[in-house]
Amino acid sequence: MSFLEPDAAVPLAVRTPAAPRRAWLKLFRSRTAVIGLCLILFWVVLAALAPFLPLPSPTAQDAMAMVDPTPSAAHWLGTDILGRDILARLIFGARTVLAVAPLSVAVAMVAGIALGMLAGYFGGWIEALVDRFSDLVLAFPVLILYVILIANVGASVLNIVIATTIASAPGIGRIVRGLVLDLKQQEYVAAARLRAESTFYIMVFELLPNCRGPLFVDACLRIGYTIITIGILGFLGLGLPPPNPDWGGMVRETTTVINVWPLMSIAPSVAIVSLVLGFNLLADGMREAWKP
Amino acid sequence: MNAIIETSLLGRSAASVRDTVPLLDIRGLRIEYRGRDESVVAVPGVSLQIAAGESYGLVGESGCGKTTTAMAIMGYLGGMGRIAGGSIRFEGQELVGASAAQLRTIRGRRVAMVYQEPMSALNPVKTIGAQLMEVPRRHLGASRAEARELSATMLENVKLPDPLAMLKRYPHQLSGGQQQRIVIAMALLARPALLLLDEPTTGLDVTVEAAILDLIADLRKQYGTSLLYISHNLGLIASACDRVGIMYSGEMIEEASTAALFSHPRHPYTQGLLDCIPAIGSAKGTRSLAPIPGHLPLPHERPDGCWFGPRCAHFEAQTCAGDSIPLVPAGDEGHQVRCVRWQQIDVTPPWVPVELTAAPERAATLIIDNVSKQYPLSGSRRTVRANEQVSFVVGKGEIMGLVGESGCGKSSLARILVGLEEATSGSIRFADDELAQVPAKKRAKDMLKSIQMVFQNPDSTLNPSHSVAWPIRRALRKFGGYRDKAAIERRLRELLDLVRLPPEVAQRRPAQLSGGQKQRIAIARAFATNPSLIVADEPVSALDVSVQAAVVTLLLDIQKERQTTLLFISHDLALVRHVADKIVVMYLGRVMEKGLAEEIFAPPYHPYTEALLSAVHSPGDSAQKHDRIRLVGETPSPVDVPPGCRFASRCHRKLGDICDTVAPPVRRASATHEIACHISLESLRAVRPVFENPLPEAHTS
Repeated sequence: MSFLEPDAAVPLAVRTPAAPRRAWLKLFRSRTAVIGLCLILFWVVLAALAPFLPLPSPTAQDAMAMVDPTPSAAHWLGTDILGRDILARLIFGARTVLAVAPLSVAVAMVAGIALGMLAGYFGGWIEALVDRFSDLVLAFPVLILYVILIANVGASVLNIVIATTIASAPGIGRIVRGLVLDLKQQEYVAAARLRAESTFYIMVFELLPNCRGPLFVDACLRIGYTIITIGILGFLGLGLPPPNPDWGGMVRETTTVINVWPLMSIAPSVAIVSLVLGFNLLADGMREAWKP
Repeated sequence: MNAIIETSLLGRSAASVRDTVPLLDIRGLRIEYRGRDESVVAVPGVSLQIAAGESYGLVGESGCGKTTTAMAIMGYLGGMGRIAGGSIRFEGQELVGASAAQLRTIRGRRVAMVYQEPMSALNPVKTIGAQLMEVPRRHLGASRAEARELSATMLENVKLPDPLAMLKRYPHQLSGGQQQRIVIAMALLARPALLLLDEPTTGLDVTVEAAILDLIADLRKQYGTSLLYISHNLGLIASACDRVGIMYSGEMIEEASTAALFSHPRHPYTQGLLDCIPAIGSAKGTRSLAPIPGHLPLPHERPDGCWFGPRCAHFEAQTCAGDSIPLVPAGDEGHQVRCVRWQQIDVTPPWVPVELTAAPERAATLIIDNVSKQYPLSGSRRTVRANEQVSFVVGKGEIMGLVGESGCGKSSLARILVGLEEATSGSIRFADDELAQVPAKKRAKDMLKSIQMVFQNPDSTLNPSHSVAWPIRRALRKFGGYRDKAAIERRLRELLDLVRLPPEVAQRRPAQLSGGQKQRIAIARAFATNPSLIVADEPVSALDVSVQAAVVTLLLDIQKERQTTLLFISHDLALVRHVADKIVVMYLGRVMEKGLAEEIFAPPYHPYTEALLSAVHSPGDSAQKHDRIRLVGETPSPVDVPPGCRFASRCHRKLGDICDTVAPPVRRASATHEIACHISLESLRAVRPVFENPLPEAHTS
């Protein structure tokens, strides 16, 4: 070692025990995140295995059970008023929720990140335009937006995705814009500009990776909100068309008999709550584990 | 008479306390931080005593435990830290294990602290008055009117103009220097017996720093307050403290009176620290900076025996590696050193002269002519004048030092040069290309390639999401014409070798590197394109002194080898003198003086240069300095610039109205030396030099 290498020979790994690559592992140290993850995984596994589980079809009506829809050996959670197996409907319902909610949030993320990047990086009139647009959308009650959209075009997965994107993109955009306003001042961005990197490169490779922490947290929360929204839409009768199993719809169909057979409404409600809770806990855990 | 009242106010006479017990008596203090799996012993056992009225300096590199010790005195170790042993006695009262209620009567009242960051010590939503008045009301039981009067008087004492108006203002309306004065005023309002100052002037401009230090010294005399200075700045400690303790990895390794420590340092680490700092009195080429090899051991890396052993040139396995080393008396009274070989080793500095090559006349390669930059202020017609009519010429392979305090426009000029900003007017020619109004995006590849920049902040210079090699690989692919992967990797390894980093570093993330290592990567990135001009904007100001010396030496070595032209921007005059061939001094966007380095450091000076030079604290030169020049006030806002000389509002040699109204003429002191001042060259030549002796005493003996 030459005499002129004062800090060159530093044992490199000891400086910070938590390397960025291990950020995901750090998540498992947070109990909140682990509980959230367990709740989510519970539903994901059930939904994934649904066709292989020994379940009755979620749309098959069991005439025998219609007489007594309470839980039995054949129907663990009982049946609904049409004699369909609640457990099967819950598990198949999870498939829809777990496909639609993350998909719509992913699309909303792409749109929101694009808006936020443009506004934050360029500033000026672009920022003003994006801001005013965001104000407009954010001032609009989200549910009304959904109802208008779905009532006019009809209920489908595509509609839920579009509605979620319109409703969520401005919020995501604000987060990204705030982050980018700070990040673009960093010296490594200046260094990239001195390498004549394109604006697109700077946005995607220099700025975006450093936004990921807050964005993951936000995505988790938004998936939770979207699940609730899908539930509400189902409850209002604007969800996916029957006879698809749909948690919100299940509650709606059974409200009339809630005093007699409360389990029919409680089971799907608990399903919604547990999944949303799972995403919220995971989001909290991420925030906790990744806080600087 | 007043002094007597002051003393009796304190409740006990300072003299009687001094005779009996030290004001602050720390013995065997052990501080641990609870980790997830195990505790980390940040400070294994530190002892120090501060007498009443004494000023004590605690010095060390970041991570040596100096701030932790101060926090322990205040009882602010946070949730993870705890005092695991030892005692802290203050005025005879034990603080370790004292109840919260007992601590409350001492903290803020008898011991106060001034933090590094004044903005975060002040509450942004309360007026200065409200925050100041809280102190006497809470601690002295004063009424509102009394509190207001005490606060106003204290503001006068800390030399803030118009105290009554100041009480009504909010922290954000004040400059950094003014905020720090407020924090000091707040700390002194309760008339504490001990004032802890944790890097009180870091982040302030040199002239402001000098004024704050004078202020603290005055107030100390006035109130008889003891001071505990915590700093990494040896120069500051040398001029402000009676006794000094050097900390290393949580241990006190040397303690002595200031005079003894700086004239006869006993511990090799102390000497190493002194060798790391360029002396303001020594010109370029008279002495190499000698960085300390290795790094400060983290608590779990401390070796057996001497903790400094692995970095020490005098290390001997039989004597140094065995048992832990005790602190032993060394020579003069009160001088203690934690070194078993202190009597055998000679730590007088290795006087490493650099071979001097007569600088040949260099062909001008960078010509900056009349460059001005104005930023429009949003919502008004006014503009911020960052640069005005800046002109200078840099020869090929030369190092140009650009000096000035914050707001002088040096960084804005650097950004124009590399193309991150565009000049409002003027011309910059580099190798026959016009650059002033060509942003990086529009620059030809060759032009971009030939001008690169080393940035200031090691924490933001590398993207935390990528490996450190990422930007270097990108630069090689974009500019080096390297297509094949193996060639890129080979070149990358060469570059890492150039900045003396092992090749394994390439795959690390920035978070896994130290500040010095990150700056080395930044240098490698800048040199990846084989540039002919490097703009280095305060490249080492955020680093510890020992690392600073290494990085500067590295930069100079590469520069010399490749004959790169270097524009070296810094606020540190001693460093610039060590580095630069030519120097430009800027103030508020204008060039005040420019010339060869040796011309800048000797009369005739521009009055601003003179003030800058006399504000510099450097260990070992205190004896040679005559009365320091202290600038009044602070750099005015670059929005409403005075029509005459920019410096007129603070100038100690102001002639009269002419300075305020007429722009000063540029006077030529020699072919290379220009000063923009109304004062005639003859008068400026007659000024007494700031440095009588060009070489620091410690090194000539």
